[in-house]
Amino acid sequence: MQAISPRRVFQALLIPALAVFTALVVGAVLMLLFGDNPLEAYTGLFQGAFGAAKDWAETIRRMTPLILTGLSVAVAFKAGLFNIGASGQFIIGTVASVAVGINFPGLPMVIHLPLAILAGIAGGMLWGAIPGLLKVYTGAHEVIVTIMLNYVASLLASWTVYAGGTQGQTPGPLWDSTARAISETPDVLASAQIPWIFGPPYRVHWGVALALLAAIVMYWLIFRTTFGFEVRTVGQNEKAARYAGINVRWVIVMTMMIAGGLAGLAGAIETLGLNHKFAPEFTGAAGFDGITVALLAQTNPLGVILSAFLLGALDAGASQMQFDSGVSQDIVQVIQGLVLAFVAAPLIIRQLYRIRKVPDESDSTVFSSGWGK
Amino acid sequence: MHTKRRFSPASIGLLIFGLLFLLMAILVNTDTPLRQNVWLRVLFDASTLNFTLRASVPLILGALCGILCERVGIINIGIEGMMLAGAFGAFVAKTSTNDWPLMASLLFGVVTALAVGGFMGLLHATLSIRYRMDQIISGTVLIILASGFTSYLFDRNAVAEGKFSAVPIPGLAQLPVVGKVLFDNPPLTYTALLLVVIVHVALFYTRWGLRLRACGEHPRAADTVGINVNRYRYLNTTLGGMLAGLAGGFLVLEAVGQFQEGMTAGRGFIALAAMIFGNWMPFGAAGAALLFGYTQGMQNALLLAGVTTVPRQFVSMIPYVVTIVAVSGFVGRVRAPAAEGKVYDTEGGSE
Amino acid sequence: MQLKRLYGVAAVLLTFAMLFTACTAPVAPAAQAPAAGETATEEAAAPAAGDAAVVPMADIKIGLVTDVGRINDRSFNQSAWDGVKQTGEALGLTEGDGGIKYIETQDAKEYADNMQQFIDAGYNVIVTVGFALGEATTKAAIDNPDIYFIGVDQFQAEALPNLAGVIFPEDQAGFLAGALAANLSQSGKIAAVLGTDLVPPVVAFGTGYENGAKYVNPDIEVISTYHPGEISQAFVDPEWGAATARQALDQGADIVFGAGGQTGNGALQEVAAAVEAGGTLYCIGVDTDQWETLPAAHPCLVSSAVKQITPSVVDLISKFAADGSMNAGNYVGAAGLAPFHDFEDKIPQEVKDALAAIEAGFVDGSVSTGYQP
Repeated sequence: MQAISPRRVFQALLIPALAVFTALVVGAVLMLLFGDNPLEAYTGLFQGAFGAAKDWAETIRRMTPLILTGLSVAVAFKAGLFNIGASGQFIIGTVASVAVGINFPGLPMVIHLPLAILAGIAGGMLWGAIPGLLKVYTGAHEVIVTIMLNYVASLLASWTVYAGGTQGQTPGPLWDSTARAISETPDVLASAQIPWIFGPPYRVHWGVALALLAAIVMYWLIFRTTFGFEVRTVGQNEKAARYAGINVRWVIVMTMMIAGGLAGLAGAIETLGLNHKFAPEFTGAAGFDGITVALLAQTNPLGVILSAFLLGALDAGASQMQFDSGVSQDIVQVIQGLVLAFVAAPLIIRQLYRIRKVPDESDSTVFSSGWGK
Repeated sequence: MHTKRRFSPASIGLLIFGLLFLLMAILVNTDTPLRQNVWLRVLFDASTLNFTLRASVPLILGALCGILCERVGIINIGIEGMMLAGAFGAFVAKTSTNDWPLMASLLFGVVTALAVGGFMGLLHATLSIRYRMDQIISGTVLIILASGFTSYLFDRNAVAEGKFSAVPIPGLAQLPVVGKVLFDNPPLTYTALLLVVIVHVALFYTRWGLRLRACGEHPRAADTVGINVNRYRYLNTTLGGMLAGLAGGFLVLEAVGQFQEGMTAGRGFIALAAMIFGNWMPFGAAGAALLFGYTQGMQNALLLAGVTTVPRQFVSMIPYVVTIVAVSGFVGRVRAPAAEGKVYDTEGGSE
Repeated sequence: MQLKRLYGVAAVLLTFAMLFTACTAPVAPAAQAPAAGETATEEAAAPAAGDAAVVPMADIKIGLVTDVGRINDRSFNQSAWDGVKQTGEALGLTEGDGGIKYIETQDAKEYADNMQQFIDAGYNVIVTVGFALGEATTKAAIDNPDIYFIGVDQFQAEALPNLAGVIFPEDQAGFLAGALAANLSQSGKIAAVLGTDLVPPVVAFGTGYENGAKYVNPDIEVISTYHPGEISQAFVDPEWGAATARQALDQGADIVFGAGGQTGNGALQEVAAAVEAGGTLYCIGVDTDQWETLPAAHPCLVSSAVKQITPSVVDLISKFAADGSMNAGNYVGAAGLAPFHDFEDKIPQEVKDALAAIEAGFVDGSVSTGYQP
């Protein structure tokens, strides 16, 4: 285990900080080239993310699901698995938590809310278990299976709220019949809604505490437990892990289930805390962003918090940026890509700012040593 | 090194299946009693088969891109981004030359798609080789940048005028069923099919292919016999990028005639799956792409025919579920090139 | 080193951008509130902008929130924005900080945030576009009784004094399109390529189309399908639309109704290409008069099933600007067929008469579209 010293922390944060700065500079150059005003844009972006209390609230709200989907992808990477399926697991988690949340009237909140959250986790775990099981028992590659399951999940989810078709199809089981032709579920009962921390208009709910807790638990699990050691061993060298007597199959299935559970939890809290229902327009986009978050954090569970915060802030600031400066929100995505590029290639930053290499620091991080195992 | 199995029981089985399929297709599309059965029409009608080929073309090209990159040792999950950039390049080139003769303008579009795709490939190679970025990250960066840039720069008022139309091949196009499906297509479709053969031959029957695969399997050994591993990696990733760019060009110049933000709609990821499914072999990947395209065509035909009261979401799951079942049941363990994802240092340091 | 490379990247992109803007032939501006055409229904009188000779209110500010999508989508977002712009011009307002402004929504969770931007900035008219914004708009209208909300495509089950829901009889427009198609079809088989059945207006168009065709010719075969993907893909997948239109043509259909944003446009362009390759085929567009918005479809585009969004928005805002009156509850805008343009001479007079008879039937109740919302 590594010792934590201020010097190390500074070293660890220097490159990412310079990477963000450089990405913003490059973004500004691009905006200038295409006739936008970067100063106005960045002022709007910053105002939108941190300008007032409610902007902070928005940043935190957007950070919340990203922490969990980021953890989902990061944990899988630790075992050498590439979980592109966080968005499918997110959606299944959403639907499962809604299914519990709209039923069981009369249950007290202390039972109903945890039950709905657990349902979301369970749904995500189930959806994560499928690629894990298929991988260890049939050799089906998790990248293919999770990509395909993303599509299946979104179709399944949209069926549950399907308002019925013109050819006599029956409506989906979760469809709100009072919504007439509109495909959506009823609202989650009040006893299954996650309370807001500060109340309106600050849309920050207690889900953020769950997300932060999950990050700490994952850090502990990966770096402080035997299971975590096994996960990392499998991720580094599956053959060696097998020789060392680790039950690789068990580790892979468990890791995928944990990853799925985290993404499912993301779906659950996003729904129980914010949307309060499922409709097809609520997609699992947070799942794909989870890949960026995990990679930006170099798969460190605590780093995930920081990178999710950064992405959440960029997201929250984007609409204010467009409002104030008229610059299209798409530039934010470009900046995100640049940040990721510069963080992941410290060599670029080091050459640019002539920073000398710390002796025990490596030039590159390799998460997944190829497809096949 | 693993040995290639030719004429395995599986491939003989596939061959028999293919012939039976062809027979059914011919019977259903000619004036036989079988034509009257709506279910058989859903499965074998020429319209379903045409859809199959058309939906498969970008997948085939994307998978070939993946094969070229990965066979030489560079993981490429950025196919989606390369494709999207290629599509955008093709669109910009096409709209800026609308006043040229149609064919010249379209060809300029194709060249631009290739160039932009190649540039994306080069970028991927540079980031992962020169700057030692994790290749999964580099691929993700490509996707994010391509999607951000193309949306940021997309002029929604620009209109591309005209697209490639079908060029029947004299003689062959008159064949029953097969002629209509295979030999009456626009040029990029033919190109994609030819490229499957070309890439296969180049990979397995040329010295270049042997060296390329050596870089992906055992770079140290390749280096000792005098192969410049990183040069091979740069070159092939760029070539691969060009193929993905062409896939984007296909979408804009041949399939639709317009660009749309995010118009690749996950096809790059499906192509990635097809590549793995096909075990990093051109014919395997093309087969996987065709299977996927076929199931899409079939589910569409099923819905168009209106013969089922199953909610359409379940019908629409068919392509994805079939892929999962096929991947788990029939191919078993696929094997990626051994040295993928690892930066190769020569004795004197990087590059 | 790296900077040089970045400049290289930027230069390449810049070159593209210049090619892009410099060489693109200017496109005709979007339909200037096309006159409803002789066949449009007349349920709501919809005056053109010029009629709105009103005294500018002291400090009227009009904001528009798009559905997930773009302001210039050549479809409903753009039509609504055109309405805002026309009224704004009549009132002496200018785009940006001069009184009219829009925000493009990037994610369905941000509807409320985007409205809040306008509320915070002191806008007193907020137009929200798309049925998906209905719930968020209702909430905002309850919370802000002094602000006038206009919700396009948002049916109001219970009227709020400061919220006008602009709705259209899409089923009637679809019915007319189906009747036209059945009259023109030689093969006895017509097709519809539709966005998604998760959105009521699309289902209304589709059902109306099918029933309209059957009304004219009970033996006609109508083949139709919805996009198989999730809602965020359903309207932006032109390749699927084109391939499906081709599939329908291969199956013998000779008229294709493309209803679903870019997806439908892909279908129309495919039919247009087939006409150019030699075939007697027609296509019918949707939402706006696509003769104006999609020139590539001219070879086949016989008409479009339009919703008069622009004049409806102009009408509502002008009235408000004139005397501060708000339209509570639903405002039924006009929907019908767009002009035939170049096909005017190819449509037999008896077909035109038949369409007029159907419209009369809608008014006196003798013709029903059979659509149950």
